Amino acid sequence: MRPTLRLLASATSAAILTGLSFGAVAQEGPLVTAAWVEENLSNPDVRIFEVSVDTGVYERGHIPGAVNLAWHTDLVDPIRRDIVSRENFEALLQAAGVGEDTTVVLYGDNNNWFAAWGAWVFDIHGLGEVKLLDGGRKLWEAQGLPLDTATPEYAASAIELPEQPADLRARLVDVLDVVEGGADVSLVDIRGPKEYSGEIFAPEGVQELSIRAGHIPGAVNFPWGGAVNEDGTFKSADDLKAAFAALGIDGSKPIITYCRIGERSSHTWFVLSRILGYEVRNYDGSWTEYGNAVGVPIDNPSGTVWGKI
Amino acid sequence: MTNPAIRFGIPALIAVGLVAGFLVLNAGGPEGRPLAFSLAIGAAFGAVLQRSRFCFYCNFRDLVERREAAGVIAILVALAVGAIGYTAIFGAWLPTPAPGRLPPTAHIGPVSITLVIAAFAFGLGMAISGSCLSAHFYRLAEGSVISPFAIIGAALGFGLGFLTWNPLFLAITSNAFVLWLPNHLDYAGGLVLTLALIAALAIAALWWARPVATQEQSGLTLASAIQRLFIIRWPAVVAGTLVGIISTLAYFRVAPLGVTAELGSIVRTAGTAWSVLPSTLFGLDGLRGCATVIKEALLSNNGLFVIGLIAAAFITSLLANQFHPRRLTGRDVARGLVGGVLLGWGAMTALGCTVGVLLSGIQAGSLSGWVFLVAMTLGIAAAWAVARVWARRFAIQ
Repeated sequence: MRPTLRLLASATSAAILTGLSFGAVAQEGPLVTAAWVEENLSNPDVRIFEVSVDTGVYERGHIPGAVNLAWHTDLVDPIRRDIVSRENFEALLQAAGVGEDTTVVLYGDNNNWFAAWGAWVFDIHGLGEVKLLDGGRKLWEAQGLPLDTATPEYAASAIELPEQPADLRARLVDVLDVVEGGADVSLVDIRGPKEYSGEIFAPEGVQELSIRAGHIPGAVNFPWGGAVNEDGTFKSADDLKAAFAALGIDGSKPIITYCRIGERSSHTWFVLSRILGYEVRNYDGSWTEYGNAVGVPIDNPSGTVWGKI
Repeated sequence: MTNPAIRFGIPALIAVGLVAGFLVLNAGGPEGRPLAFSLAIGAAFGAVLQRSRFCFYCNFRDLVERREAAGVIAILVALAVGAIGYTAIFGAWLPTPAPGRLPPTAHIGPVSITLVIAAFAFGLGMAISGSCLSAHFYRLAEGSVISPFAIIGAALGFGLGFLTWNPLFLAITSNAFVLWLPNHLDYAGGLVLTLALIAALAIAALWWARPVATQEQSGLTLASAIQRLFIIRWPAVVAGTLVGIISTLAYFRVAPLGVTAELGSIVRTAGTAWSVLPSTLFGLDGLRGCATVIKEALLSNNGLFVIGLIAAAFITSLLANQFHPRRLTGRDVARGLVGGVLLGWGAMTALGCTVGVLLSGIQAGSLSGWVFLVAMTLGIAAAWAVARVWARRFAIQ
């Protein structure tokens, strides 16, 4: 536990012990610890959401009181390729009883991969500053903390989301502005090195493909798993800062992150934007849009040719 | 086989192996605990199947040919108890079963002509090989000489199933629909309808059956308790209740009961590695049931479930002195392989077998389970009809 968080956690316990109201416990920073979550399980001003990749994980045991978000239905538009609409997301938050002052905490399996994507969606829709449980589901389970199988129900809130989404999203034109127009923006490709180099079109077993291999010209490669420790927690801000600085990403100019479908790169978006405080947009079209777009510049060091055996 | 070293020594060794396996897996943290649970619940299932002779085909044949209802009643009780257990879990996981929502990972499978054809083929395979896949697994422990060939045949059948999946999917399965009773009748209505159908079947079975002379029940002594536990076939209602409880617990903790996912997984992994099977199976990942994925880890929940099932069946079978292999004939090999291919093809194409689709499906309130039951019964009846015609023809000659 980082010193500041430990301090806050003890302050929280002290607040509970002395019978103070829960209102004062919001934790600073983008991450909360498992201990903090455990202490705030019955805090009405904290709402926990689970965003896991694997089906049935939430139902067989989740953090008590956590609301389930299915990434493939709740957080996307099921018809067009887009994130969930403001109207649908507003309804979802109202049903979960999220109010203006609720502290939202997200967590999930696979090192918070989809939880970080969820955080990006929350932030776009104006929820700003939602937090991740550091270590996610993996750490919670490894510590043997309690799990619940009942689905919680909350009194609906009347929260209204802003009309205008936050500018956290890059589109193809923004990326082309960098590649062709010379906009001063860093590109971070967080896929595996073999995807980046164009040796393979996509990892084994994935269905979403591009018919060109390689990466966006000028992008640097930082595989997303490099940002987490073995136990699923994020590396320290100092380590992350140094690792990205080594690639020339130091926050001196705006950043665009991308991957294959824009979900893993949200994890890096969270690291750069929320933990390091850089100005970052996530390009959710990612390689499946860029690598399929007609007539755009591509850097393919491996020279792999689609269809050639 | 009366050698006590074998009758008691081998079960003791297997039991030690099971306990050791459970402890090692259970020590493996969050990833290991579901594996350990799968091994344990598989062992419980195997013990109940073997002790109560919970064999879908044999029980159905007993009812039709010998007018004995006990086995079929055990299956119906298992369906009823499991349906109640599933409903209790669904209520916690998905409080309102609004249309379009489905509980996670339950075997609420697609209903289509493909399912009917597959279940019919599965029924033929049951009649030819003498039982369904789950029963072949536990009958290995009774020395069945057909079962090993049926399981090999089933692996081949799974391979064929993968080959025919894509054309069938494009032609028929893609039009399939999912019907989950609680979506339309709410939980209470769905459960009442399921229980009413089960009760109707039970009444019909009992009406058709002729009472078997009941054994005089002696008072419970230590000796008679051991006798009842380890030697005598468990009573139908007890067996059915236990299977229903095991189904519920398995779904609650890991996944619905099913015995073919691992077999299919192994075949698909091998077939894909050897490039004889298509790398993409249309729509398979989106469909519920014993979906068969490429193996990523050596140990899987379903693999350990089946290992536990077979191991526990060996323990109870040897203790009860029921391991009786007989001399293998060419006919056994042929019956096993041909029946097994039909079982495997049917189980792959139906996305599960009598356990995965019929038992877990009906318990979950899915129409697919009932469709499987009906089509499978027709398959069995068709096989019997053909067998009768052949028998008559050979008799005349």
